[in-house]
Amino acid sequence: MSLEIRAGELLALVGENGAGKSSLMNVLYGLYHPDEGDILLDGQPVRFKSPRDAIARGIGMVHQHFMLVPTLTVAENVVLGREPTRWGRLDLERACAEVTATCQRFGFQLDPRARVDTLTVGSQQKVEIVKALHRGAKVLILDEPTAVLTPQEAEDLFRVARGLKEQGHTVVFISHKLREVLSVAERIAVMRRGALVAEVKAAETHVAELANLMVGESRPGQGTVEPYQPPTGEVLLEALALKALGEDGRAVLDGVTLTVHAGEIVGIAGVDGNGQRELAEVITGLRPLAEGQGTLLNRPLSALSPDEARRRGVSHVPEDRLRRAVVKDMSVEENMALGRQGHPPFARGPWLDFAGRRERTQKLLGAYDVRPPDPLLPVQALSGGNQQKVVVARELDSQPKLLVVVQPTRGLDISAVAQVHARLREERARGVGVLLISLDLEEVLTMSDRVYVLFEGKVTGTFTRPEFDEREIGRRMTCAEPAHG
Amino acid sequence: MGERWRAAVPSILSVALALVVCWIAIALTRDTEVASNAYLQMLYGGIGQWPRYLDGGDLAVIVRPLGEAASKAALLILTGLSVAVAFKAGLFNIGAQGQMVVGALAAAVVGAQLSAHALLHLPLALLAAAVAGALWALIAAALKLWRGVHEVISTIMLNWVAVTLVDNWLVVGPLRPTVTGGHSVSGTAEIFPTAHLPRLLGDISRMNLGFPMALAVAAFVWAWLIRTRRGFETRAAGLGPEAARAAGIPVKQRMAEAMGLAGALAGLAGAVLVLGTEFRYPGVLGAPYGFDGIAISLIGNNNPLGVTITALFFGALRAGGTRMQLLGVHKSFPELIQGLALLFVAGRLVWLALLRRRRTQPASAEVPRA
Amino acid sequence: MLELLEALLFSTLDAAPALIFAALGGVLSERAGVVNVGVEGQMRAGAFCAAVAALFMPTPLGVVLGMLAGAGLAAIHGYLSIRWRSDQVVSGMAINLVALAGGTFLLESLYSPNGTPAIEQLPRWTLPLIHGVPLLGALSEHSGMTYLALVLPFVFHAVLTHTPIGLRLRAVGEKPHAVATLGLSVQGLRWGAVLGGGLLAGLGGAVLSTAVLDRFEQHTPAGLGFMALAAMVFGRWTPLGAFGAASFFAFGNALRIGLASSAPGILEFIPQGFLLALPYLLTLILLAVQGQRSSAPAALGTPYEQESR
Repeated sequence: MSLEIRAGELLALVGENGAGKSSLMNVLYGLYHPDEGDILLDGQPVRFKSPRDAIARGIGMVHQHFMLVPTLTVAENVVLGREPTRWGRLDLERACAEVTATCQRFGFQLDPRARVDTLTVGSQQKVEIVKALHRGAKVLILDEPTAVLTPQEAEDLFRVARGLKEQGHTVVFISHKLREVLSVAERIAVMRRGALVAEVKAAETHVAELANLMVGESRPGQGTVEPYQPPTGEVLLEALALKALGEDGRAVLDGVTLTVHAGEIVGIAGVDGNGQRELAEVITGLRPLAEGQGTLLNRPLSALSPDEARRRGVSHVPEDRLRRAVVKDMSVEENMALGRQGHPPFARGPWLDFAGRRERTQKLLGAYDVRPPDPLLPVQALSGGNQQKVVVARELDSQPKLLVVVQPTRGLDISAVAQVHARLREERARGVGVLLISLDLEEVLTMSDRVYVLFEGKVTGTFTRPEFDEREIGRRMTCAEPAHG
Repeated sequence: MGERWRAAVPSILSVALALVVCWIAIALTRDTEVASNAYLQMLYGGIGQWPRYLDGGDLAVIVRPLGEAASKAALLILTGLSVAVAFKAGLFNIGAQGQMVVGALAAAVVGAQLSAHALLHLPLALLAAAVAGALWALIAAALKLWRGVHEVISTIMLNWVAVTLVDNWLVVGPLRPTVTGGHSVSGTAEIFPTAHLPRLLGDISRMNLGFPMALAVAAFVWAWLIRTRRGFETRAAGLGPEAARAAGIPVKQRMAEAMGLAGALAGLAGAVLVLGTEFRYPGVLGAPYGFDGIAISLIGNNNPLGVTITALFFGALRAGGTRMQLLGVHKSFPELIQGLALLFVAGRLVWLALLRRRRTQPASAEVPRA
Repeated sequence: MLELLEALLFSTLDAAPALIFAALGGVLSERAGVVNVGVEGQMRAGAFCAAVAALFMPTPLGVVLGMLAGAGLAAIHGYLSIRWRSDQVVSGMAINLVALAGGTFLLESLYSPNGTPAIEQLPRWTLPLIHGVPLLGALSEHSGMTYLALVLPFVFHAVLTHTPIGLRLRAVGEKPHAVATLGLSVQGLRWGAVLGGGLLAGLGGAVLSTAVLDRFEQHTPAGLGFMALAAMVFGRWTPLGAFGAASFFAFGNALRIGLASSAPGILEFIPQGFLLALPYLLTLILLAVQGQRSSAPAALGTPYEQESR
């Protein structure tokens, strides 16, 4: 793929998750190395061995997760590594003056003496930008810069970006928030599946067209489109105005209302980081509910523990496999027992039942075609796809009433994906309610009977299968509009 | 089973290397003959003078050294298990020494202040030691789970609190025996014979009930860790706390339990020392068996079987150390071997990298979906 | 009364430097993010080498060799924990055990089990103006190490807070990845800190055998390294805090010894054990009250991996 970035422009790079935006920019910043192809800077081919080379050539990057030392002041963070000195002593006065000068030049308002951990997220981001500018960056790459910002802070950031452009800097936004992109960028490059699919002028396009380019033309439904029947099974999960807080105290779920019936697959569509993960955590008892109420399998949703959720019949295929789904140093059969370690056939009274465990594990390894089918292997010795098969096998084997699956097919090859999907449909046929959370819109649409769209912790749309419209859903995923479905 | 052997390779290599390095150390400071002779004496002192016995010697030339080795090994097994159990729950128990001191004191107090029938007295003394050690360890667990204080820091501090308070206050103050005869003794009052750990082989060997007890405890810990649901949950909590939590395991509770058990094991080590060989809390509990436990546990791969084997080995070495004194080599020499072995185990990544360079390792098969 | 206080101050100033240097060594290493439970072992190595070297050469040179010995053990720690990212606590403890047993072995095979022969102590300096002045006189008649120990914490503080290298050290202990993205070497900074910490701990040990005593004894430093760790934690990982805590602990110790010899009656009410346990008890209480996160470097104990994403 090729992309041209011109001096003094505001470029946006948009695309779905996994489209390759961040990889591309990490190549530009010297963090990854290209297998093929060249980077030309001012017409000259360059090779960046490390971020250091990129910095030297005037490229600055603001990572999504800030690279700031929280206990140091703004000025200390900015000058770190190229500190002004006087008689060998760190010249904080000059550092502050320099930082203030840089701030003034670009229209920032920052107190250089403030400790970074006392600043708001928006200000911390500005510190990151000042850090790059202070090192002489002419090209500034911002990776998902508004993901952590309030709308006001985002607006402020755009103002800054325009100011930078006026002074001849180039700013590259990586984003999937189309509305914001349209309001700030001049040129928009759209990526899909590792390739550049379009370059458009912001003035000549609109959200719907961009969303369309991003997710691809509406594809005809794959295979036979199943007929849709409104859910008739009992209500397994009824959530009313759920609110949950993230680690930084901000609301990550903000008034989510949804229901899951027995015998249906409910999909959650949304771009990464809009509250899907937290929704799964609340329902499985891993994250406390801040506000709101609901019933889960006939009992209240509040004060739910992971243990209690499992006892009620909730199974969970989490997203972060190696951290949350398996204990990677334990064997396959031990991982099979995880979550059910106290029940037959994995235990008899207080004792583990090795024979029963082995037998059940071997049965499941066979049924799910896990390779190699060795129950004694540590789970981390398996490939990612086979690890996932172990997890899915375990969670389905416990005969759940409600199944919460997050990104169940990430990293799996095609046949494994088909297998997982078939299993989920089987569960539905058995009368299990499935809550499917995936960043892959195609997966959500092919699997689900109903879809809720999440954006910034709120439900921005609900669709039933006959109403599925990729474009409309894509729009709801990328901008907040009141739901009218 | 091949897997288990492979896991033991770095430890075996480390111990072997430590033995070689230490031999060279004697050879350099003395000469090679002394070095070889010293190792031979260490062997005799540890597992008995078999040549002399086969030449028609007394049975004692075998039984006595073996008994010495067994009593040393009993202590190392218990403190090694203490560290290993905490490790299984993801905690680093540097505090076995302090827990042992507290346990030893509890055993000495119950053994000397209480009079009861032997069938009751000994178990009571052992129980008191275990409970005292457990409570001492639970302080560290509480600080960790509620206040986020790293257990390494808190257990180091607790060690010294225990040692200073016991050695410099309780033993020389409130618990000092009232001198009755003409001679004054250091340490607490002597315990009643009913609280003694009985000797198993009469007078020819100092081996006492502590050794089989330590082996039984090791078997118990093994069964708990490997065969029970609780043990499984504890190991899961130690290896993958997040996954354990998602599986409904009360992670904090399991960690606290493991730390309590670790303390109880170290406390028992103190009891074995007091009830088996010292018969009182000595003026100063010199032997740093609690610190040895760290080395034993790590060399033994932190599992009960490995710990037991390692403890038996170093127990024999230590019993042999006393014989090395005949040649003018300090009796703490086996501790040097043990320390170096730990250092080499700590550097096992270096070993493994050297070994792996020979083989090509399979690449990880995680293929991102396009 | 005044005389008593002066005597107390004098013995504090005599005993404190070892603790201060070792605590500073701990601070240096840990502020860069490398746990240093091997201070005790590094002190022992420093004490032993300084005493042995001083048998053959001028004592100050011996002290330098002692420092190098401390750094030598620290280098093993650094190699395992920085280069190979192995568990920092394990390698620190391993160093302690090796130094403990190795010191005993070398002492026995080279000299006698109880200690090295006596060496010439570091010279004591008589401060002309204040010598003999009540109370102030306690400042006179110490070895150079005492005066160094009174100055070094402030120098260290100044370096840590007011120089580029200090800024980088603080940054690398808090967030090594931020330092790496700016093109600085995380490994290099940590190596420097660990070796520097070893030099300081070695110096602390050397002071014990060349200024406080006149030989290396079997049990030197007898747990002083762990007390230095307590001082480091109690001083909230800052040079001046560690200095204050170490001085306070040394004063407590001097008070205890002073009481034992001059007023044993008081010790009937406050047993020695309490005074001995005080540093550790206070540290525990401080940690219990305010938690650890608030003061310990954020990246302490976590090995730095370049590709962590």
